[in-house]
Amino acid sequence: MSAKSSSVAWTEFRSNPISILGLILVVFCIALALFADVITPYPEHVGPIGDFTAINQAPSAAHWFGTDTIGRDLLTRIIYGFRLSLLMAVLVLSISMPVGVILGLLAGYLGGWVEFVLMRLTDIFLAIPPLVLAMAIMGFLPATLTNAMLAVTVMWWPWYTRLVYNVVRSEAREGYVLAAEVIGASSPHVMFREILPNCAPAVLTKLTLDIGFVVLMVSSLSFLGLGVQPPTPDLGSMVADGAKYMPDAWWLSIFPALAIMVLVLGFNLLGDGLREAFDAEV
Amino acid sequence: MSPVLRLLLQRLAISVLVLIGVSILIFFIARIVPGDPARIALGPNASQAQIDALREARHLNDPIVVQYGWFIRDLLHGDLGTSLYTKRPVAQDVATYFPATLELVLYAGAMMILLGLPLGRLAARFQRRWPDHVARLLSVIAVCTPAFVWGVILQLTFAYIWPIFPLEGRLSNGIDAPPLITGFYTIDALLNGQISTFFNAVYHLILPATALALSGIGQTARLTRSSMIETYRRPFIGMSRAYGFREDRISRRFAFWPSLIPTLTILGLDFATMLANAFLVERVFVWPGLSRYGVEVIMRKDLDAIVGVVLVIAAMFLITNLVVDLIVSIINPRIRLAERKAKA
Amino acid sequence: MKTMTRLGLLACSTAMLLAAPLAAPLLAQERPLRLDEAAVGEIDPAKGADYADTVLGVNLYEALVYPKQGAAGVQPWLASDWTIDGLTYTFTIRDGATFASGNRVTADDVIYSFNRLMALGQGPSSLFEGRVDSIEAVDDSTVAFTLTEAFAPFLAALVQLSVVDSKLAMENQGEGEFGEFGDYASAWLSSASAGSGAYMTQAHDPQVETVMVPNPNYNGAAMDPLAPDEVTYRYSLEASTVRALMGRGEHDISSLWLPPEVLKAMAADGTVHLAAEPGGTGEYIMLNTQRPPLDDVHCRLALTSAYDYATTLQLLAVTDDMAQGIPMNGALPKGLYGADLDRPMPSQDMEKAREELAACQYDPKDYPLDIAWIAEVPARERLALLMQATFTQLGMDVKVTRTPWALITQQVTEPDTAPHAIEIAVSARTPDPDSLVYNMYSSTVPHTWMSASYLADDEVDGYLEAGRTETDPETRAQIYRDLNARLRDLAPAIYAYEFTGVYGIRNGIEVPNLEEEGKLYPTSGFSMLFKDIRVTD
Repeated sequence: MSAKSSSVAWTEFRSNPISILGLILVVFCIALALFADVITPYPEHVGPIGDFTAINQAPSAAHWFGTDTIGRDLLTRIIYGFRLSLLMAVLVLSISMPVGVILGLLAGYLGGWVEFVLMRLTDIFLAIPPLVLAMAIMGFLPATLTNAMLAVTVMWWPWYTRLVYNVVRSEAREGYVLAAEVIGASSPHVMFREILPNCAPAVLTKLTLDIGFVVLMVSSLSFLGLGVQPPTPDLGSMVADGAKYMPDAWWLSIFPALAIMVLVLGFNLLGDGLREAFDAEV
Repeated sequence: MSPVLRLLLQRLAISVLVLIGVSILIFFIARIVPGDPARIALGPNASQAQIDALREARHLNDPIVVQYGWFIRDLLHGDLGTSLYTKRPVAQDVATYFPATLELVLYAGAMMILLGLPLGRLAARFQRRWPDHVARLLSVIAVCTPAFVWGVILQLTFAYIWPIFPLEGRLSNGIDAPPLITGFYTIDALLNGQISTFFNAVYHLILPATALALSGIGQTARLTRSSMIETYRRPFIGMSRAYGFREDRISRRFAFWPSLIPTLTILGLDFATMLANAFLVERVFVWPGLSRYGVEVIMRKDLDAIVGVVLVIAAMFLITNLVVDLIVSIINPRIRLAERKAKA
Repeated sequence: MKTMTRLGLLACSTAMLLAAPLAAPLLAQERPLRLDEAAVGEIDPAKGADYADTVLGVNLYEALVYPKQGAAGVQPWLASDWTIDGLTYTFTIRDGATFASGNRVTADDVIYSFNRLMALGQGPSSLFEGRVDSIEAVDDSTVAFTLTEAFAPFLAALVQLSVVDSKLAMENQGEGEFGEFGDYASAWLSSASAGSGAYMTQAHDPQVETVMVPNPNYNGAAMDPLAPDEVTYRYSLEASTVRALMGRGEHDISSLWLPPEVLKAMAADGTVHLAAEPGGTGEYIMLNTQRPPLDDVHCRLALTSAYDYATTLQLLAVTDDMAQGIPMNGALPKGLYGADLDRPMPSQDMEKAREELAACQYDPKDYPLDIAWIAEVPARERLALLMQATFTQLGMDVKVTRTPWALITQQVTEPDTAPHAIEIAVSARTPDPDSLVYNMYSSTVPHTWMSASYLADDEVDGYLEAGRTETDPETRAQIYRDLNARLRDLAPAIYAYEFTGVYGIRNGIEVPNLEEEGKLYPTSGFSMLFKDIRVTD
């Protein structure tokens, strides 16, 4: 794998309209999440509050996306749902990515029994579909926000280990690595200063794609009632709770469903664009 | 020993090791949960004497490593414990509900291949022209949308607003399930010559299988496209153009087949995703499968049943990967273990 | 590959074309009845505990006695009559009573069923625990129970003792810990019925449905000529699914747990009518009397005074003349001994609430209040949030948590960690108030969801024991009235409202037990006798 210089990558990225669309969607979602307090029409509707005179109202000028089963503004809750989803994705990945990368470096570079143990462990985790493993962990723990993040983190690191391991295995035979070894550089130096930077494009690309997929995973968990608990606004549980009132109050589940779609789509298009620009294999 | 057989045995051995690893992982997670498993299993009205008796019977007073030994012994006898939810043996529940899930997943898998491959080929054939852009956008939307969202949208559109498909279930009310042979209603109905039952079962499969297949279709299309584009760069494509073969024929014969192999290796992963997504789709369509059972037992903290469900799904996943390996090595004997690993 | 694709597409489209005309269900039966319930059905009468289990039990099995139609007390059922002589209750089994298998119902079957219930120790066994000294067959059709001491609720409790076909059960028993009785056919009876009720199981899948057909050997209380000839009792359907199926004429009777707006929307469509099953169930907001600040009665009284009863009832309204609840003025729902209909219904009184709070030894700000609501019943979130809003006005810091039922049943076993307040519906399992209040308020019962107030009060215990031993009905009624008054003063719960089950029923189906005056069996679930339901189209 060869990493291109960032200016070449940017030129290539810019030339693809779909990648630009991804970038716009991502910026849009992040902006909504950051400025939710200012943008949303009814910021107090995030909390445990009900307006029993405005239950299940269809979309209108006052409530663009309608109101939910206890009279809260759905648009407000969806925007706060973006904030929560993004926050969770960032937290999950900021733990699982470094752990996975370091283990992958160790396994790939040190080889021997370290490689055997780590990679078999990775195989075990990867042998269970991620959602099923996360669900099973949630089955043993109380359903809270923290536990849901814990469950997703536990099943996410092996993907980075596998990715970095593969990159390291191909890089280890490259000339610059051998050269560093010949001049007597220490193992940590070779791993972190020589090899790691070359894993960056692949890891970065995967990270972008994964923000979308973590959002997807977390919303799936809460769709099943195993994730975030009310009154915290969460897109997955909004879809699940709203589905009970179909088809009369269709807006309860359709708008949050579209919101998940937009959020994941943005990160996916952006990640795809990065992959093509960096020519990274993920 | 032929290389294919040796490769297969090697993979089989690794799969068994991994499965043992999975059983250790899930067993220990189940045992470190707060609370006494015996008390949880017996429910809130149990007396201390009943709890003690169950602790004794399930060897819960032994050290955890010994407990794992008992667990494996029971497992080998086909005993997965008793479900708190259905009050029946977990093994029996799994046997009852798994065929429904497998049938759903296999039909979705078939849709994924039958629709995903042509869509990807179309995109590659018209690379960077409008059919490509449309196909790519469609497939990326399919990938980015959780299966439960597809379920809800399809159900709202084709079952509520425009009711041409059934809302839920495997068969219409009033139609009896065919005699149990494989547990697949479509196959059992055909084996018994019950044509109308067969069509009724297919009719019920369409919406949930589509909801489940959509992300796989997108994924397959994307992979087919990118590996075909790679193949297009190979010299023999330019050569066949020089020979004057028509573009259609090049796409179909020369570029498509070699591109199938990398796609195929990923199909195993897609299948795993489907097994997981079945949890979401079954919930939407009230599909009486293992996934729905899995959600119920997780909600109820039904430890034995959770362990059983996870083990069965992991085994299923490993078997799929073995089958994919076998097919790949038959199609292309040059593919070696290391190469496949690097791709995954 | 191309040919394969084409073939595949061809097969798919052919299937769709052919399937369309076949979509209408090919009904083998003339009068099918399709119902649903939120929970999973347990068909073994010795294990059943909730509403669905009661409905299955009364249709598949018969008990010696049954709640009296349209009145308090019990009436003959499998027993044609009985005599009470001190501690001995002697029952004569109805002439010609026969199980679905063709076996005659004998005294030995009653003995087997009772011993089985007590040995398995689940379901309704707690109603009899420690109360029966001996049970013996006087002759083939006469059975005598001898009690250990006077126990007034005994006769009513027998509505929960379903009689099992012992010969059939013993033929199908597996290995187990009960000696010659093996596993007491525990596995088998969870998959098939062996009773003398009007229906018998044809197929049972605890996750999907129970299919029942009429019992050809049934000779109990008369069966309506238009009674269904096949009953499908389905489990865990979503509210939206039930609504759509009923609109399409593919479902007949909804569960009790639909949100009011879904019921309202169904009724507005014009294809469904509503029927109510009132009585016997209280909605209690259990207050944890073991955990500060609610271990101080003044803090509890502050909450019962502040509770917004009027808005609660508004939220339960389905249509102008139908609601999922009615007001409740004490611990006992109407229709049971001790329910006091003349007392005024409670109403919100913030003034009084503030006074009580001032008298409470704790400063509410130091003790954040945990309120849980049951995840499976979405409409309860509204009441939890309503409480949060009103209690916050008292200066309390209130936290609301959605908790799955399975988790609640675990949490409540530990008073220290159980929530401060949680809304739980508790039904009388028999026509006697003892089956309700004893399990809720006696300090001797183990900690369960029924006793999540953890009340330990000598006076209450005194009334509860007296109610069990006193046999004169008038004196008993007074005991329960006194108990009710004491329970109002102690406020171990907010008596929020009395639950009224509201069913959506497809037009064309008649349920006389719910819809006709004086035909209701006042114990929850006992009116759902399929043999009395009419399928008229």
